[in-house]
Amino acid sequence: MILDSLKLDGKVAIVTGAGRGLGRAMAVKFADSGADVVAAARTQSQLEETADAVKTTGRKCLIVPTDVTVSAQVNALAEATLKEFGKIDILVNNAGGGDGTLGKQLPDITDDDWRRGIDTNLSSQFYACRAVIPQMVKQKRGKIINIASGYGLRGGKHNFMYTCSKGGTIQLTRSMALTYAQFNIQTNCIVPGIFPHNEEMMVFFKGGKFIPIGRVGDDSEMGPLAVFLASDASNHVNGELIAIDGGGLAGGITPTGVSPETSN
Amino acid sequence: MPSSTSSNDFSLEGKSALIVGAEHSVGRAAAVALAEAGAKILIASQEPGTDKQLKEVAKLVTAAGAKPVIRVQSATMRADLSATADFAAKELGGLDIVVNALDTPAYGPAEASDDTAFDKIMENNLKTVWMSCQEGARVMLPRGGGVIVNITSVLAERGVPNAALYCAAKAAVLNLTRALALEWARKGIRVNAIQAGWLDDESSPANKDDEFSKNLLKYLPYNRLVKPEELGGALLYLCSPAAGFVTGESIAVDGGLRARV
Repeated sequence: MILDSLKLDGKVAIVTGAGRGLGRAMAVKFADSGADVVAAARTQSQLEETADAVKTTGRKCLIVPTDVTVSAQVNALAEATLKEFGKIDILVNNAGGGDGTLGKQLPDITDDDWRRGIDTNLSSQFYACRAVIPQMVKQKRGKIINIASGYGLRGGKHNFMYTCSKGGTIQLTRSMALTYAQFNIQTNCIVPGIFPHNEEMMVFFKGGKFIPIGRVGDDSEMGPLAVFLASDASNHVNGELIAIDGGGLAGGITPTGVSPETSN
Repeated sequence: MPSSTSSNDFSLEGKSALIVGAEHSVGRAAAVALAEAGAKILIASQEPGTDKQLKEVAKLVTAAGAKPVIRVQSATMRADLSATADFAAKELGGLDIVVNALDTPAYGPAEASDDTAFDKIMENNLKTVWMSCQEGARVMLPRGGGVIVNITSVLAERGVPNAALYCAAKAAVLNLTRALALEWARKGIRVNAIQAGWLDDESSPANKDDEFSKNLLKYLPYNRLVKPEELGGALLYLCSPAAGFVTGESIAVDGGLRARV
């Protein structure tokens, strides 16, 4: 039955950036769908909160404080997972960040700024793919979900490291998909629209007034999409990117949320 | 091990679904998938004389747990699609989901395709989808909205020889999906697409014992064609309330083919 194919009973999922926001939402939804979770992020206290939420579902949660920009730590994350659970079924590369230098004039962006931006959003995902793939190949099954952004597809004014790293995420996804299809490993990409995590962001994004659907996303909406991509229901979906953005990219070149007839 | 609880994220219990093009393999698979998820099902065919095929589909849908209502085209396309949408709402007690599986592959050299071929291919693959979206929306809008999923193909974004008009129609369906999604975004209708890869079904040009099929299989990331049933998961996700923030999007079910090209 198709609903059973959307369950994750007995699976083991690593989620990076699991200390808050979308990462936590996905981790908890995975557990709710039957998976044990390995939660990685830098901040121990946030991971503990995620673990508490995971455990209310009856599933296990292993906390591994990790700086994903350091490949040795990412390798250790995969090793810790294997030690605890003996397998890795699902990897969600969610850790990443906004661009601290957003808006900075190009000549003022330093080499360090550039490297930090690329490392946080892209190198981190590469490191994690590299760390889990030997085990997934051995298992002859695996699901990798990379989190990109609409800015992986759009350009942005004074937006360099973020657009380049997220564009790289999409290409990493495609090449992973093609390289490891033969081992029954599917790699896909979620392209989230705007998901504010506090009142300040809500105000900044005007509650999503400019998004075609007329509102911003809620963290709880990421979980089911991640579950679909982590489950057997998506076994022939590979190398794909799925936007969850209220129609933002579909509108693309037009000012969104208004139509030529009604705009004023 | 405690059993998971969240499968109700994807449940369509209480929802009413109209599958247009149920005589085709993808429509058949769509009807079964949505029935398994708990939806009430109306299977419709736009091909007169397909009663027998629909009865076969109805058996599968019944086995999947629903009691399907059948409707085969009985009037001109517009009149029939209009009546079908109304009929669905009446028979099923509402209309929450419309799946347009209106796909009629057409292959042939461009220089030999006449204006009649153009009209026919566009009608079968594009105009019917357009009309079905319109008629579905006409019924859904006063009820507060719904979900439309249009089945198109990976050929919507890539060309292939000897199928210029089919490729053009498939591309049109994809962009029709985006534009309608934007237009109805604030009126409660989500419109999405599924891009099927090379299908293993009765009308596929790719499951023959010929050079094209052999070369194609080597090129496909999984070295095999897509079974229509494999579209079910993506379809169910898009139809479910869990995808409430997804509109104007398409999901390719192609094993990764499009990542290569």
